[in-house]
Amino acid sequence: MTKKNDISVPEGYFRNLEQNLSRIPQQEVRPTLMQKVSPWLAYAASLAILATLGNFIFRQSSAAPAWEDEGWDYISYLSRSLDPDGMIELKENDELTQEDIMNYLLASNISVEQLEQTNYEEDY
Amino acid sequence: MSELESIFNRIVKEYSERLYWHVRRMVGCHEDADDLLQEIFLKIWTALPSFRGEAQLYTWVWRIATNETLNHLRKERVRAALRFASADDLGARKIEGDPYFNGTAAQRELWKSVARLPQKQRQVFVMRWWDELSYEEISAITGTSVGALKASYHIAQEKIKLNLSDSEVSK
Repeated sequence: MTKKNDISVPEGYFRNLEQNLSRIPQQEVRPTLMQKVSPWLAYAASLAILATLGNFIFRQSSAAPAWEDEGWDYISYLSRSLDPDGMIELKENDELTQEDIMNYLLASNISVEQLEQTNYEEDY
Repeated sequence: MSELESIFNRIVKEYSERLYWHVRRMVGCHEDADDLLQEIFLKIWTALPSFRGEAQLYTWVWRIATNETLNHLRKERVRAALRFASADDLGARKIEGDPYFNGTAAQRELWKSVARLPQKQRQVFVMRWWDELSYEEISAITGTSVGALKASYHIAQEKIKLNLSDSEVSK
């Protein structure tokens, strides 16, 4: 099968083509719609990212502290913090009593003077 | 005339005709080739200030032309998909409808078979078979290794042979 002579061009095409192409440097290159709007799109995208990030940081920093949460059990938290080894027997739903506190203070090797001070204050 | 303009005019003089034949065989018809060639030279003109001369001018010009051509074919494929049409059928219709195609029926079948090849294989086949570029030249233009190009060309040839024998059988 021959490779050539299967296609042709209009009469004088290449002469005109050369002239047309040589005029390209004189033509004003018009920017495409995408080229026109892309700086604005980039600007809008940056603003959107900043707003989202700012909102996220604001929400994180202004979130209510855990103890303001209604579902948070302050007593359980306190007992876990003060008594990590579970020396005080505090069952679920048990109220923390004065006795529990005294037991805790005793187990903590607190001095008698300090205990008396506690009892003294209770009397008032 | 500025220095850039004189380089551009030299490129137009030296490469426009050769690139036309390449683009024409890639896109299948004169009208599309003419439009695409304008776009390619516009791209060459806008990219010319950034041409640093690390690559040969020849390789640089061909690289822009082949990239733009592949982009054009990709866009056509997307357009065809959006219309729920086959890009292969579109390519075949363009070849059928081109008033400047004056080859034999066998040559027409060859063109249609080439139009059905995947883009990269089509590119390698056109550059090797019709443009008669060496594998080394094609490698410099496309950035593909000579081995990979040989493999692509071989696969393309086999597909074309198969397509042509199928079309012979169907007659």
